[in-house]
Amino acid sequence: MHFNPALLLDYWPLLLQGAWLTVQVSATALVIGYAAGIAVALIALMPGWPPRLVTGLYIETLRNIPFIILLFVVYYGLPFSGIRLPATFVGTLALALFASAYYAEIVRAAILALPRGQFESARAIGMSPAEAMWHVVAPQILRTLVPPSTNMTLTMMKESAVLSSITVPELTYQSLVVQGNTFAPFEVFAAVASIYWLIAAVIAECSRWLERRVGATQAGGVSRNTIAERYLSLVARRAS
Amino acid sequence: MGFKLDYLLSILPALMRAAAVNIRLALLIMLLALALGTALTILRSRKIAAVNAFIAVVISFVRGTPLLIQIFIAYYVLPAVGLDLSPQVAGVSAIAFNSMVFVSESMRGGLATIDSGQIEAATALGLPPRAIWFKVVLPQLFRRIVPVLINEATIVVKGTALLSVITVVEVLRTAQQIASASYRPFETLIGAALMFLAINLVISLSGRVAESRFARSRI
Repeated sequence: MHFNPALLLDYWPLLLQGAWLTVQVSATALVIGYAAGIAVALIALMPGWPPRLVTGLYIETLRNIPFIILLFVVYYGLPFSGIRLPATFVGTLALALFASAYYAEIVRAAILALPRGQFESARAIGMSPAEAMWHVVAPQILRTLVPPSTNMTLTMMKESAVLSSITVPELTYQSLVVQGNTFAPFEVFAAVASIYWLIAAVIAECSRWLERRVGATQAGGVSRNTIAERYLSLVARRAS
Repeated sequence: MGFKLDYLLSILPALMRAAAVNIRLALLIMLLALALGTALTILRSRKIAAVNAFIAVVISFVRGTPLLIQIFIAYYVLPAVGLDLSPQVAGVSAIAFNSMVFVSESMRGGLATIDSGQIEAATALGLPPRAIWFKVVLPQLFRRIVPVLINEATIVVKGTALLSVITVVEVLRTAQQIASASYRPFETLIGAALMFLAINLVISLSGRVAESRFARSRI
């Protein structure tokens, strides 16, 4: 068999359209998901057990079922309750819902990692509450927040490929359309994988820039689970 | 058309039978990923520049592209190059390959935490490299990456749901088949979600038990 990228010549606009939608959907889900994640994290940190129980159930449920099933549940569940919305909208919402559970964990861990008394100390040396938040608390939280958030955003962007199964015309969906038209699986998937790879590289590069700005100490890898990784580094520190 | 709990309960046995497929596939994938990931880690530790450069590209590819695309590549591209795989074999290979990379990456992270003095001591005692790996390094390494492996196992279980897209009859596909006959997709999908929730909670819990055991034995 021979590799003939010229087969795709007519289909580049379709693939690029798909890629653009992938970027749009991921960016929207990032914003909505992060906002929801912060809200869930703040509720989780409230005193008493009921907020912890409710947020714990929310996070564990979303983290333990496959995104494709979550997506279908939302996609079929909304019409079930009488709400009809376009697939792209529903897909973005489901993606944001999925990501919010992970972002919530990241935000919660970052707030808990902040040494106690930072705010009070800043106040004690004469800073106003706003100054203490802005100059002392926020930079430290941001520093621990950026690397794991990048990992999650990359995971979420890749997970958006699943939206193809509810006919959202993003990159994966378009790749299947082009594959159906050209019968050139090798060329199509090489092109599509490269585009995803490129989007991931751009996200990673943006986050490296952000990390330098906030002075993140951890190198932002692309690992899957930051909590497990943190555990590993803890074990390492104890061992040495 | 309200939510019918008795309908949900009536389809649970069928979904449980289908869940056995997911569990079997996930087990197979984890075993493959562990074996391949270990082999990859050993290969990378030999620091052959050309080999490591190639592996770095493969790892970057696996991390930078969606698992679904990797499954499609195994399903659509491999037959085109003469490898005709059944959907199950193609899907298992794709997820195992994906998981292998993440297992190997966490093993590499764990490797840095093993005291190099041990390897030096083993070398000084004249142990062959194979014995150093299998008697000294790997047993400690596996213990250290237990939390990562548990997490990877839940990711693999969730990954098996994607195989429904390439026609493997597992929980999600079974749920869809049932739904298309009964026109009750909502309850059916909730049932499928419950299957995954149950499997993954069992994995997480047993992981926690294993971890506390290891932690105790280390002291």
